[in-house]
Amino acid sequence: MPLIETYALTKQYPRVTALNALDINVEPGIIGLVGANGAGKSTLIKILLGLLPATRGKARVLDMDVETEGRAIRGLVGYMPEHDCLPPDLSATEFVAHLAEVSGLPRTAARERTAETLRHVGLFEERYREIGGYSTGMKQRVKLAQALVHDPRLIFLDEPTNGLDPAGREEMLDLVRRTGREFGIAVLMSSHLLGEIERVCDSLIVIDAGRLVRQGAVAEFTAGLGSLEVEVEGDAAALAEALTARGFEARGEGFLAHVGLNGDDPYDAIRDCIVELELGLVRLEQRRQTLEDIFRPDADEAVAERV
Amino acid sequence: MSERAAGSIYDLGYRRYEGRRLGRWDAVFSLYVHGLRAAFGLGRRTRSKVFPMGLAVVAAIPALGYLMAAAFIDIDISDAIGAEDYFTSTFFFPPAALMLFVAAVAPELLGRDQRHATLPLYFSRGLSRQDYALARYASMATALLALTLLPQALLFFGNALVVDSFGGYFQDEWGQVGPIIGSSILISLFFAAIGMVISAQSGRRAFATIGVIAPFVFLPIISGVLVGVVENFIGRLGVFLNPFFVIDGFTYWFFDAAPDLGEGHPLNTADFAGGWYFFFALALTAIAVALLVRHYGRRSL
Repeated sequence: MPLIETYALTKQYPRVTALNALDINVEPGIIGLVGANGAGKSTLIKILLGLLPATRGKARVLDMDVETEGRAIRGLVGYMPEHDCLPPDLSATEFVAHLAEVSGLPRTAARERTAETLRHVGLFEERYREIGGYSTGMKQRVKLAQALVHDPRLIFLDEPTNGLDPAGREEMLDLVRRTGREFGIAVLMSSHLLGEIERVCDSLIVIDAGRLVRQGAVAEFTAGLGSLEVEVEGDAAALAEALTARGFEARGEGFLAHVGLNGDDPYDAIRDCIVELELGLVRLEQRRQTLEDIFRPDADEAVAERV
Repeated sequence: MSERAAGSIYDLGYRRYEGRRLGRWDAVFSLYVHGLRAAFGLGRRTRSKVFPMGLAVVAAIPALGYLMAAAFIDIDISDAIGAEDYFTSTFFFPPAALMLFVAAVAPELLGRDQRHATLPLYFSRGLSRQDYALARYASMATALLALTLLPQALLFFGNALVVDSFGGYFQDEWGQVGPIIGSSILISLFFAAIGMVISAQSGRRAFATIGVIAPFVFLPIISGVLVGVVENFIGRLGVFLNPFFVIDGFTYWFFDAAPDLGEGHPLNTADFAGGWYFFFALALTAIAVALLVRHYGRRSL
């Protein structure tokens, strides 16, 4: 059963088209939703939650129609909005427990689940303090906790690492990964940072200006895209030239050369060329192609073509 | 449970929830209860309690004063304060306190969720936007009902204690209970509907509060001019512009009372049957609630 399906999903505002005939079909797992700011990520999430009506097209979540079965869907999913959404004068415990009850958990169960979930996201004694005094990282944790407290089957996380420092970002990504991998809750996580998506997600939806650019497993995106980074003492450009002559894809500049991993045994060829040119080899490293490389606007066209 | 294997004894890991899940109405009910508590600042800082609790006391001042007087002075209790008069404009405090209570609490109930952007958290759960609006309205109306019934109860039981025969009082005055409850419910629904529909328009507490108070201040003035100066049917209709007179009108109708308001009182000048005030209040309440529900149904997030 597909987790999320959309057919020609379109959302038009008076002046902009936020989503343009989007066809998506993703299986359960941790799904990354990537796009620049304003690409339509939040709009898509809100439509899937039934918070916004679509202008045209259809969408199904957990095999239910967003338009007609919105309430049933919302009972089974959790949502962590991008923006601040917490009342400052309540404690995390009170607020999350209240939302758990609104999600239909009986009072005692709501209290228990709240304590468990807050502990799970890493809030301990602080959870009895008023949210107003929390750091951004702690607030993000509360936002994640309220999305998880009723044990949903799918959570929508809209830019969960927004506003976090590098350490907080790591922890949040780790939480997302554990939520998806160990607890079996499907995750749709939006981000404008490819690096994050790559490290956490199984599959990827790339949208730009409301249009679907690409969707598929993260592995598919990066498969066969490795390259070797060769650092030499000497002219790397000459090395690249020699390698190109042997039929490899290579380019060099200064002390660094990049060699494509296609073709026969590039390692031997590199060694031979370095010996011939009498360059000193400093470092030879295999670089896995990252998503950043694929979508980098100035990415090498040869690389882009192979995507 | 793989967390346990990972080591830390404090981290029990994430557990699935296999327990009972309640339905939509339980969810709405919990929202309602939460709102009702918030209306009086329960579970909040002391600061949040001062105003609502204070106004509840203000609304009860005539009743409390009367009871104290009755306790110390041997006065004739025969209807020094009648239940039918309590929330009419005869006494200034009680209806004014109700109005201020709505002006203070309604913007808090609705505005908090707008200011702190918590609405998406509610709307992304298994209840509808209409459920949310109605639950909030119900909280407001119930809080007002507590404010209206409390002084009436004090008065009623106070009177019963003062007279010689406790049981006899109940027997004689039993007929009052229906009108007291009926008028209190309509007063609460009426005030709550007006206060909530105005409050929903602005997330800024100050604006919303002023917005709620303004009609209660200015409409009576306009109403007074219409009824007093324009001597025709249109002028007489002006009495409906004054929310306090509308309450007077249907309250007396509930109690089937014909109070001696004196010559020239707008209610006398307008000379409408009490039932008209009742229907007018009911219609206005229904329209305001419908607008409130529609407002949240259309609100974009």
